Amino acid sequence: MCQVCGCAIDRAGEPVVLEVLEGLLAANDRTADHNRAHFDEHGVFVVNLMSSPGAGKTALLEATIVALRHRYRIAVIEGDLETDNDAVRIRAHGVPALQITTGTACHLDANLVHQALHALPLAGIDLLFIENVGNLVCPASFDLGQHRNVTLLSVTEGDDKPAKYPVIFRASDLVILSKTDLLWLMDDFDPRRAAAALRELGRGTPLIQTASRRTPAIGPWVEWLDRELAHHRAPRHVDVVQAQHAMARSGDTRVKA
Amino acid sequence: MALHFGLFADAHTREPVGDSIRAWMQIAVHELSVCQALLIQVAEHACKQGAAAVVRITIECGPLSGVEPTLLKDAFAIMRLGGIAAAAELVVVPTVVRIECMECGGRTETRPNKLVCAACGGFRTRVIAGGELRLRSMEMRTLEPRPNDGRTRMVSG
Repeated sequence: MCQVCGCAIDRAGEPVVLEVLEGLLAANDRTADHNRAHFDEHGVFVVNLMSSPGAGKTALLEATIVALRHRYRIAVIEGDLETDNDAVRIRAHGVPALQITTGTACHLDANLVHQALHALPLAGIDLLFIENVGNLVCPASFDLGQHRNVTLLSVTEGDDKPAKYPVIFRASDLVILSKTDLLWLMDDFDPRRAAAALRELGRGTPLIQTASRRTPAIGPWVEWLDRELAHHRAPRHVDVVQAQHAMARSGDTRVKA
Repeated sequence: MALHFGLFADAHTREPVGDSIRAWMQIAVHELSVCQALLIQVAEHACKQGAAAVVRITIECGPLSGVEPTLLKDAFAIMRLGGIAAAAELVVVPTVVRIECMECGGRTETRPNKLVCAACGGFRTRVIAGGELRLRSMEMRTLEPRPNDGRTRMVSG
């Protein structure tokens, strides 16, 4: 408003301030909601799998496909900086896999997933895994339209990772301690310390253990998937996990009601 | 119309600016994507308001947003060039982490990796502050006198 006479005119050349109060990732979040609507329309349950590079995301998916492909129609979206090596590994198990190569980008975003989902036969998929770019920092900030976030912590890493990367671990609905068949070798990794660090993040996130190579031991993970999928499909369900997730992020104005 | 918001891109076509910058800077941080989103948002608001130039952008950035203010400022210093915010200052208002216990209702100011209740030890809490990542306000200059729709205010002095 004009400060000379009080008329409702902003004078040319004079600085004016616009109050915006809008999330910086509002555009990404809108696309993510749009993706979720696509998934829900086709009854696809979507899990966003995150971890540092080499924590065993692809190996876990391979073991998961072997365990579950007779019960669920599975598909995978692979995110990597370069190569389609991971998609090739997944396809070898007879499951559709779409590779997104991000070039130099360190994370997947809702837009990349949106492009990929139109290349997938959504009507023929029960369970879609999005294997995010191996990175414990960047993927945490970008909603893709998934229903659950799962983060792997391999026992060859430090057991204090949840304390070092609180944003991604707090955003997780489940944390998987992977490569536990190597635990006997890793005398400096204490699963109890990892659990304590995770507990400090205040969400009560469950922590389970898996081993995917040689003799796969992924029972708790398969049970979790069964339970979450059944829960997601239950008619008129109140999605408690999603609600908790929304509450956890409610201090985060990117998510607007 | 093609409204320039930064290097190598415009808000109309939304061509990626981050990729060119990444290739040039040889870095991969998500602050580039966040900065790109910010500049698009700013350009859209500036366009709607008929602004000639954006002079100051104020954002809130909490420790639980996953965005590092220093890296965001570095990205901004380069990505703003050539656009409507080319001469703009980026002000990052830091926020503190505050949680509310879902068991006792107690509120605690804390740090990002210590989110359990300090009062009762409850390990289910709600983050009530600290996750912010939002555009608070922007200051701009207009070319023409324009009716005030109530959303803007003049800067005194």
